[in-house]
Amino acid sequence: MDELELLKKDWNKSDDHHKKLSGKEIYPMLHKKSSSTVKMLFYISIAELFLWIIINTIPYIISTEYREKLNEVYANETLMTWLTIVSYGIILLFIYLLFKSYKSISVTDNAKKLMESILRTRKIVKYYVLYNLVVAGISLIFGFYHTIHYDPAIAAEIKDFSDKQMFMAYVIMTVFSILFIVVIWLFYKLIYGLLLKRLNRNYKELGKLEV
Amino acid sequence: MKKEEEQRFVALLEEHQNIVHKVCRLYTNNYEAHNDLFQEITIQLWKAYPKFRGDSKFSTWMYRVGLNTSITLYRKSKRRISTQDFDNVAFKIKTETYDDTEEQQLKALYAAVRNNLNDIEKALVFLYLEDKDYKEISDTLGISEVNARVKMNRIKTKLRTLLNP
Repeated sequence: MDELELLKKDWNKSDDHHKKLSGKEIYPMLHKKSSSTVKMLFYISIAELFLWIIINTIPYIISTEYREKLNEVYANETLMTWLTIVSYGIILLFIYLLFKSYKSISVTDNAKKLMESILRTRKIVKYYVLYNLVVAGISLIFGFYHTIHYDPAIAAEIKDFSDKQMFMAYVIMTVFSILFIVVIWLFYKLIYGLLLKRLNRNYKELGKLEV
Repeated sequence: MKKEEEQRFVALLEEHQNIVHKVCRLYTNNYEAHNDLFQEITIQLWKAYPKFRGDSKFSTWMYRVGLNTSITLYRKSKRRISTQDFDNVAFKIKTETYDDTEEQQLKALYAAVRNNLNDIEKALVFLYLEDKDYKEISDTLGISEVNARVKMNRIKTKLRTLLNP
């Protein structure tokens, strides 16, 4: 006999494998905390959004020197004001998108659709992280450039550099920038890799035959 | 209002709880894990309950939420100390003396389903055991009927080779 038919026969006749729970036992379950992947995903995403906001604002709060410098820059350049407005606009946009896609995750969809909406939510965070990495990279490069060319103390120092020394300085700065970005990227890979491993595997398995 | 809805939901779940237990039976292999998954499915059902409009049967709706939770949302709890449960051991012994009795055969079957099939395959087996046709299976999982059929045949072959080495 077919293995599954045998299983089916048993499946339907045995209803008492697990003790029946009473309403009283079910009731408190409704208010327990969920430990679902999506919830974790959402919490981590929110934490990320705030992390980047904090990273951007901490130097402003802590260092008075930096604040003064920044105020000076802002007073002179409308460009910087616009950049700030745009960057906060982008953060708000991401928060909106994340919230919207989180809301669209519905357990009552079919399994494939559900997985797709979870992965879509994840993608939004991925773009946000990517955006931040690019901005961080550009800022680093500009920062270095600005320091070399406009900071009087540094400029005086490197004035006597030979071509070789100058080259080395550039290499070190580049390596440092790349390292910084790679470390952050790895960190994200780790968090989401662990969280979404099973989901990714199941998603692939589901669509395996449909090309 | 909320209180009433809670009572109504609990009554419904109490009546149909067997479906959730059955899902847990395929996806977990010990008592602790079973209860954890039951708990998580209950939360997901309750969260989705406001969206349940009664246009499908409560039981059908439960299949979806139960399987979706098992396949996509559920994070296996860390406090499960041993995944090497008694069924696993039983499976090893039973395969040697496979022809003994139907009961032993069944035990080996359950063990094979739990330990050797992936999450998607378990969902297919579950729906198959619940006597769903391929239309409903493909609707629930979001795949084509052809895909569902091919997968089902593969599962059958897989189980056959597992149990008749």
